[in-house]
Amino acid sequence: MTQEKREFTTDLAVIGSGLAGMAASIFAINRNISTAQAGNTGAIAYTTGYLDLLGNTGTGSSGVIDDPWDGIRQLQVNQPGHPLAQIPEMDIRQAFTEFTSFLGECGIIYGTPGETNVRAITPAGTTKSTFSVPATMQAGVDAFARKATCVIIDFKGLRGFSARQVVANLKSEWPSLTAQRISFPDMISGEIYPEVMARALEVPATREKLGALIKDLRGEAEVIGMPAIMGMHNPDEVMADLSKLIGCPVFEIPTMPPSVPGIRLREMFEQVFPQKGLTLVPQQKVRSLDFSDKEVKLTLSDNYGPIIIHAKTVILATGRFLSGGLEAERDGIIEPLLNLPVTQPDSRDQWYQMTYMNKQGHEIHKCGIEVDDHFRPLNSEGGVVDSRLFAAGVILAHQDWIRGRCGAGVAIASAYKAVTEAEKVIQKSTRPE
Amino acid sequence: MSDAKITTINFKEKAIELLPEGASFDACLTCGLCSSGCPASGIENMDPRKFIRMAMLGMDKELSTTPWVWTCTQCKRCQHVCPMNIDISQLVFLARGNWPKEKKPAGIVRSCELTRSTDSTSAMGLPPDDFVFVVNDVLEEVRELQPQFKNMQAPIDKKGAHFFVNQNSREPMSEPDEMVPLWKIFDIVGADWTYSSKGWAAENFCMFSGDEEAWYEVIKKRVDAANELECAVWLNTECGHSYYTMWNAVSRFGMETNFKIESLVTYYAQWIREGKLPVNSDWNVNNIKFTVQDPCQIVRKAYGDSIADDLRYVAKKLVGEENFIDMQPNRSANYCCGGGGGFLQAGMTEQRRIYGKRKFDQIMATRAEYVLTPCHNCHSQMEDIGHHYGGQYNVVHFWTLICLSLGILGENERTYLGPDLAEIGL
Repeated sequence: MTQEKREFTTDLAVIGSGLAGMAASIFAINRNISTAQAGNTGAIAYTTGYLDLLGNTGTGSSGVIDDPWDGIRQLQVNQPGHPLAQIPEMDIRQAFTEFTSFLGECGIIYGTPGETNVRAITPAGTTKSTFSVPATMQAGVDAFARKATCVIIDFKGLRGFSARQVVANLKSEWPSLTAQRISFPDMISGEIYPEVMARALEVPATREKLGALIKDLRGEAEVIGMPAIMGMHNPDEVMADLSKLIGCPVFEIPTMPPSVPGIRLREMFEQVFPQKGLTLVPQQKVRSLDFSDKEVKLTLSDNYGPIIIHAKTVILATGRFLSGGLEAERDGIIEPLLNLPVTQPDSRDQWYQMTYMNKQGHEIHKCGIEVDDHFRPLNSEGGVVDSRLFAAGVILAHQDWIRGRCGAGVAIASAYKAVTEAEKVIQKSTRPE
Repeated sequence: MSDAKITTINFKEKAIELLPEGASFDACLTCGLCSSGCPASGIENMDPRKFIRMAMLGMDKELSTTPWVWTCTQCKRCQHVCPMNIDISQLVFLARGNWPKEKKPAGIVRSCELTRSTDSTSAMGLPPDDFVFVVNDVLEEVRELQPQFKNMQAPIDKKGAHFFVNQNSREPMSEPDEMVPLWKIFDIVGADWTYSSKGWAAENFCMFSGDEEAWYEVIKKRVDAANELECAVWLNTECGHSYYTMWNAVSRFGMETNFKIESLVTYYAQWIREGKLPVNSDWNVNNIKFTVQDPCQIVRKAYGDSIADDLRYVAKKLVGEENFIDMQPNRSANYCCGGGGGFLQAGMTEQRRIYGKRKFDQIMATRAEYVLTPCHNCHSQMEDIGHHYGGQYNVVHFWTLICLSLGILGENERTYLGPDLAEIGL
């Protein structure tokens, strides 16, 4: 056979390609740490593009919070085990600034993270509390806040996004909102996907045709909303172009997965990381991890054959059930790569509440692995598994990121923490005795 | 039309057998990333997600008969974007193989039959003697008319040569001058190479017809030919699926090879790095823009991003860094053009062009005037969709541009250059 084993030597290995893994790689790149990243696609393509920090503390009547920083201080008192309660506020701020600046420099501009949450529109036409939104969605936040005269557009053949639904859900709060349906230019009939429209809008001629269609039905609108389809690789340019062609600001509303903002992030990372010197092994799961005195060895393979990564430090950012970081078995929840102990309800009966929408949330959504102050995973005796192993993201226990609207917050802040801790180990290892 | 019936496959059972380690159809979230990212979605009212769901629901009759399997190029992009790593192309391969020969697209079947009809393994049925004649004839002409190459060689059946070089039949059959730039490159770098009179051809439509036995038989002839000549490397030239059909078959069928299977693209990059191929972009004084098409068969389905990076390295050296514009998405995530999988030979022109619209949009978004690609099927498809949808770009082989850059591209070797480059270096 012609397959050849490939070996890489690196200071840091990041396992996982979700938001936490990507954030860890960004922080490592910014610190000039030689890094290799592996892990299958993860859930990043499912994101809305909104970056939550903390939107709900699960207390009070609705639990919805406007001030995430105050919310984190409440967590420190009420949920001290929550990962966000264990990271200094200054670090969380720095992490968000660094993360969003990196995205902006690579072509997806985000609003500067501030002091308060914003109200952003969801695919269903409800609103949610989030922290930082892409520039292509900012005009929607502003328009909602001042209840501007606005038309929401949708497209024939596009499932999972209905302008009428968005309007119906928001109408009582936003009376000057109306809906229109159009046909996307030059698209064959049948089901069409946001991804396909977004790529078509990378072509200037398609933008012109769409811009002309929308201009015709704009009427008195001060702003136009549409599903997230404004280009894949240059969304800010597509938005600026469309806005000019239509004659008013335009904004995107996230769609149901598979959504463009998630694919945008994933493709951007996959393109930019290797350019910045990172060794990226996309789409492949790490099969095993071996710790010896001199190194940590990761074993995996791709179509072309086996790959070995020799690392000084490792960040485990493998996520929960969707990405395979945790697995639910008959008799309990396991962490399959290293068999780390998983904090979980005593019995399966306690995984879920009897009602799906129960306000308390479901216990299974708080399970995960335990870490110490340095974000190093702990074994069943409470000791550090290995001083070179760190963890980040939603694999961490004691947080229900869905209910808490804190998925990106946990991912980005814990990745920041894990990288700064790994960096100390790397520096120590390179320093002469 | 024949009366042959298509038998029904139990897709769920087969799917479970074929699952890669750790993957699970139960884990399919029906999220639709596969369909959203597939240019064949919607054609014949089918898409990859629907295919999987129908398989899980036991709708075997529908799946066994849907013509969609001939519009899926088995490019594996669905698997590439799937968080659960589900490989739908294997089921498509099974479905294709299950169609009675009389019902399969005639063009693919005929190409497979022709491939098996001579020792050349040429899908155009060019016999060994004719191939040898054409090569010698063209060589003689070049030696005569291009004095710089009066000692150029195009060896055939040279035992112990380092490279066993394959050739897409299209060149000796219909555009023999297109072989010359490749020979010149070998001449410049001093490569020790040979053609073989047997098993020299590159293409393999038996694989695309889903006929595993015929696929094996074709590859066996090629493997035997390369083993017999005791070459160190079986070198795939600018043809995507010919690499995959050989590389994949060797492990699939457990064949013994005394040679490595490699792509010419990696050697272009290596020879440029080593200074053996002193290309530059000085000729591109008008800053003509170029993009690159990643053939699925050598990038996503085989080498991965490493060969995609080589393609870009070579392209940038040839045209100038600032004149290279990448398609989006690119490398392993690039779209299939719609020319592969036998689509070009299947006679389904309308469907193929619908499929190709995605590639056309990608090319138009780059605003490049030229597309470089080391693949014949990509080449033909991108030319066709360019004409069909009104694109103004040209599609060229790497060998053309390498020789153009070196100032050694002959007058008859410029078929694919636009008028802007037709005269350069003559």
